[in-house]
Amino acid sequence: MSERFSLEVTDLVKHFSVGGGLLRRPRMVRAVDGVSFAIGRGETLGLVGESGCGKSTVSRVVLKLLEPTSGRILLGGVDVTPFRPGAMWPHRRRIQIVFQDPYSSLNPRLSAGAIVGEPLENFGIAAGKEKDERVARLFERVGLHAEDTRKYPHEFSGGQRQRLGIAKALSVNPDVIVADEPVSALDVSVRAQVLNLLIDLQDEYRLSYLFISHDLAVMRHVSHRIAVMYLGRIVEFTDKRTLFSQPLHPYTEALLSAAPVPDPAKKKSRRVVLQGEVPSALQPPSGCHFHPRCPYALPACRSTDPPLIEVAPGHHVACLRRPPGGDPAPLTPSQ
Amino acid sequence: MNNVLEIRDLATHFFTRDGVVRAVDGVSFDLASGETLGIVGESGCGKSVTALSILRLISPETGRIVSGSIRFDGRELTTLSDEEMRSIRGHQISMIFQEPMTSLNPVLTVGTQIAENIVRHRNLSWSAALDRAHEMLDLVKISDSRRRLDEYPHQLSGGMRQRVMIAIALSCNPRVLIADEPTTALDVTIQAQILGLMLELKEKLGTAIIMITHDLGVIAETTQRVVVMYAGHKVEEAPVEELFARAMHPYTRGLLRAIPRTDADAELAGRRRRLQEIPGIVPALTRPITGCPFAPRCAFVAARCRAERPPLEEPEAGHTVACWEMRRVLEAAA
Repeated sequence: MSERFSLEVTDLVKHFSVGGGLLRRPRMVRAVDGVSFAIGRGETLGLVGESGCGKSTVSRVVLKLLEPTSGRILLGGVDVTPFRPGAMWPHRRRIQIVFQDPYSSLNPRLSAGAIVGEPLENFGIAAGKEKDERVARLFERVGLHAEDTRKYPHEFSGGQRQRLGIAKALSVNPDVIVADEPVSALDVSVRAQVLNLLIDLQDEYRLSYLFISHDLAVMRHVSHRIAVMYLGRIVEFTDKRTLFSQPLHPYTEALLSAAPVPDPAKKKSRRVVLQGEVPSALQPPSGCHFHPRCPYALPACRSTDPPLIEVAPGHHVACLRRPPGGDPAPLTPSQ
Repeated sequence: MNNVLEIRDLATHFFTRDGVVRAVDGVSFDLASGETLGIVGESGCGKSVTALSILRLISPETGRIVSGSIRFDGRELTTLSDEEMRSIRGHQISMIFQEPMTSLNPVLTVGTQIAENIVRHRNLSWSAALDRAHEMLDLVKISDSRRRLDEYPHQLSGGMRQRVMIAIALSCNPRVLIADEPTTALDVTIQAQILGLMLELKEKLGTAIIMITHDLGVIAETTQRVVVMYAGHKVEEAPVEELFARAMHPYTRGLLRAIPRTDADAELAGRRRRLQEIPGIVPALTRPITGCPFAPRCAFVAARCRAERPPLEEPEAGHTVACWEMRRVLEAAA
């Protein structure tokens, strides 16, 4: 309830029904299945997982671009869950999004200045000359030239377009920015520029980021705390340092070990290669969703759905083999 | 060392309304038999066009190989007839692409697509080719392979489609496999499976691999030697350990410092470190580049860099670099 958190989400659930017809019952995809987290001011929460784990659905739901099936969303302490679009409007300004592909999210017929200035008008923050001045300042702040306002999106490079997307999100002074794979489409040398910009802006404006990525190296760089998602659920949630030095969930361990390391001297010394693929969210496995791929699974994992519990201060894990206060040493494979 | 591929001064240009795009502009390298060579660079550096040039897959309506030579087992590929080239492509040199869904035929079964390639290049009956296709699916570790033969690409996951692509590519035991961003579209746990599979098959079959990627992690884990490309030029080439330990070109050094890493311990301790940026962007290739292509973004740039193209030098055996200011770059590092 407190305003310590810019964004607080409790038991968020989003189900989609698919298929279905006159005589066939639709089936449920549990895209997000009971997710809770809170982000403080100036903090970055990383949401990491593979395709289909529900991380992008979480981002759309917290923005209320999708209505949650159940659960609560608090923006700066205000429960916005029941708000219809009209009532949501004054709160929209507080939470903005930066997309993966800035090209498909920028209107090609508007000049860059009009794109960035549009939210200022929409929210009645500034108009006319004042708006133009603010837009010019925003352009400079994100590393574009003030004269670039007259250009159109296709005249910018990928990195510059992402700067435009950031300027647009920033224009209405939000508290929270949802960044959905913001650097995944960018080249390495430009990626560093954009990540640095995001970090600088956060320090300057005490922004809260919900940072979504499949890239653990990027995650490690920008996040303070990280939640690992698998098939709609958070399976591990802790601060960045603990996650990388002492991952407790077997899925986190496998993700970390699968990431290629840019150092030939450290070539695949002890790699856990997961067998199989992520199961369909239409028919998630019983019990722990991860058990069919888990090298440490016990018979009980097939039937028992492990809750996310705090096993050590600030370290939440959903795994039967990781009881509270248990030995954090690596597990030994079952069988 | 005997080379299966020798590429000399390759230049592939595209002729567009906006002018001539010099996508590859004088690139040379060798591929030894059985080795894994990495080509790394950012979008538009010419790495994919190099691969397509080797296979002569540049569409004649838009571009062509304007000069240089590509020798495969001593045979010059640039002057072969289309018919002769077809007997090499998919047989002795084959390729896998980033997005398997767009390179598999959606209306043919997996078995048909593998057998098709085998029948084209080998004197086998259709049923013998299908048996071989079945073997190939087992080789790339697709479970339930008999049933999969009769499935269509849309019934497979992304990782499985890439396995099928590998099965097609390796079905005629090629000498060279060109892999263009083979795991970029895949999730990280599936990427680990596919890279592991490729290396295992390379050992088993002795195929030389050209691994094209923008991902330095993939380069470090899979290759033996690396060519770094920038704006259509080769700027550096070295054995992989050497490149990561002692990169000499300012661009390569910049790339290595610009990547966030999962293994660095320093940043875990304290504040978030700023990544080192390479300022600016890749140059447009529609204008001819005089001098070094990296000069506008380079911290070591001198007058000569803008005027004259730096030659490739070999300061260490097997380590070549094209940089006028190499001495200053190395001193700055020490």
